[in-house]
Amino acid sequence: MRILIIEDDPETLGFIARGLSELGHQTVTSSDGRDGLFQATEGGFDALIVDRMLPGLDGLALVRALRAAGDTTPALMLTAIGGIADRVEGLEGGADDYLVKPFAFSELAARVQVLGRRQAAPAEPSRMAAGDIVIDLHRRSVTRAGQRVILQPREFALLAELVRNAGRVMTRTMLLERVWDFDFDPRTNIVETHLSRLRSKLNAGFDVDAIETVRGAGYMIRSS
Amino acid sequence: MRGFSFKRWSRTTFGVVTIVGIVFALTTLAIGIIAFEATHEALEQQLDHRIATETASLIDEGDDGPDGVAVAIRRREAARSTASLDFRLVDSAGRLVAGSLDAVVPNKPGYIELLPYTRDGEQRIAQSLTTLLPSGHRLLVAADRAVIDEMDASLLKLFVGAFGVMLALGVGAAWVVGIVNRNRLSRIDTTAKAIIGGDLGRRMPVTGAGDEFDRVAETLNQMLDRIAALMDNLRQVSSDVAHDLRTPLTRLHNRLDEALATDDRDAQRQAIEAATAQSRELLDIFAALLRIAEVEGMGVKAQFREMPLSELVDSIVETYRPDAEISGHILMKSIEPNLKLVGDRRLIQQLLSNLLDNALAHTPPGTTITVVLDKPSDHSRIVIADDGPGVAQEETTNLFQRFTRGQRSRTGNGHGLGLALVAAITTAHGGKLKLTSNPGFEITVEL
Repeated sequence: MRILIIEDDPETLGFIARGLSELGHQTVTSSDGRDGLFQATEGGFDALIVDRMLPGLDGLALVRALRAAGDTTPALMLTAIGGIADRVEGLEGGADDYLVKPFAFSELAARVQVLGRRQAAPAEPSRMAAGDIVIDLHRRSVTRAGQRVILQPREFALLAELVRNAGRVMTRTMLLERVWDFDFDPRTNIVETHLSRLRSKLNAGFDVDAIETVRGAGYMIRSS
Repeated sequence: MRGFSFKRWSRTTFGVVTIVGIVFALTTLAIGIIAFEATHEALEQQLDHRIATETASLIDEGDDGPDGVAVAIRRREAARSTASLDFRLVDSAGRLVAGSLDAVVPNKPGYIELLPYTRDGEQRIAQSLTTLLPSGHRLLVAADRAVIDEMDASLLKLFVGAFGVMLALGVGAAWVVGIVNRNRLSRIDTTAKAIIGGDLGRRMPVTGAGDEFDRVAETLNQMLDRIAALMDNLRQVSSDVAHDLRTPLTRLHNRLDEALATDDRDAQRQAIEAATAQSRELLDIFAALLRIAEVEGMGVKAQFREMPLSELVDSIVETYRPDAEISGHILMKSIEPNLKLVGDRRLIQQLLSNLLDNALAHTPPGTTITVVLDKPSDHSRIVIADDGPGVAQEETTNLFQRFTRGQRSRTGNGHGLGLALVAAITTAHGGKLKLTSNPGFEITVEL
């Protein structure tokens, strides 16, 4: 993916750019809001990573300006801790995802992967498949290799999120946000517990684990 | 010293009361002058009237002839009293015919207000009426003005006296009121300066009289108490933050030291992983502190929307059910359907989540945790109760403060910010929190 990173802190900028390059992405950097907006309008990017606080033009105004110009390049906004309102403002302003600093690089990488997919599939089909797992969003039914699997509503939502992003790692925080709509991390391991229940139901009678645990990053369902 | 300014002076208590006193005194003086004029005029008219009546009566008795008038004059003078009138009848040539009045009879008839005359060799002033008789004689009837002058003098004395007394009272009252006010205000002023100087425990003096000064002093004292409480809280929070961050920071430092000291790659990796976990914990504490500060700042109210509270509570309980089962807890719920709440959905989720986290973390397996949502009044009520061992009664009051942990949880994980955030979220939603433990543990949130 070709990714534009707009961030004024040189250390964070270097950390993100190095990491993404190592993953095989092509990165372009900018440390100023105005310059960043200019580069973004040049086009040709698969994703944007924009800091909320920037010199020249702040991240929120930058994304708003892009969206007003009809540019739909997926954007991930970065912000310092705190700011319940910031998150809502950022998402309403046109950002596609929001990540609070400091973050683990694996978290950022996972989110960038998911962002890149978003543009490709704008309309969601009611039936989705990943490997031998097929889910029907309307009938809320799941089969694995043709065998019906009965899931609780939360387990279904969790599986749907994994299948929707099949082949990409979903972090614990992403799952908390998308499945539970939590913008905080509870002390109880609700994600792990739900995943282990989902796993045991999906894997009953099968030798291969349907959900892969990516150590230090998150969970993933293989797309094939 | 600043120069004298009448404007500034007139706004002091002393100035205001002095001005009022002077105005009263001047009003008294004005009333006195008017009364004096009126009395003076009335007395003159009364004298004129007497003179006119007497003149008419003399002419009447004299039967229009000068001789008859002369007889009448003599008769009156024979019976004269001190307050009586004086008479003089002269013929057309000005020769005295009758009467003892020693004065020049004016040629023109009519009233003369100030007629000089002599009595017992003394120059005096009389009010008089000259009447021309048909015979060419002129009749002068006069009344001594001493009566009017005496009355004038005593009235004048009275009014000047009253003016003086009013002025003295006004200025005196101003002086007294001014001194009393200044003394009481200067006590408040002294106290305020002492507080500015750092004696933060000082309070405004209250005399107990219940007057306006006491009321102001009491209000000021309440304000000072509130500020003191806020400052205490702030001081407590900063010292708690410093204290509670020292332990994880030290651990982090130690782990990194370990990593540097060893050449064994596995040991190094383990130490770095532990250090990362420590720094994550520190960041969690910061995030929790910032979130509490943000919620307490009330800025979150702008995000409040109506939300389906019943569904939200139910969904959180179901989210926690698998974990409760794994840890051997029994999770019960009683949720009144279709209740709504205006608030921040994520914050209410976090409130419930924190309370359930606590219930699961601090009670032994086999404990029943009950979540109740109902609406007994116009407030929705969430009760999260357990039949675990509870906490000591003396601990319950502090549990909602930052970094407060019950004795049992002090050794375990958790940074003592969960309930502080619950309290902040409840307050932001205009709600009330109640905590009981005897034993068991029950938290009631009224929203």
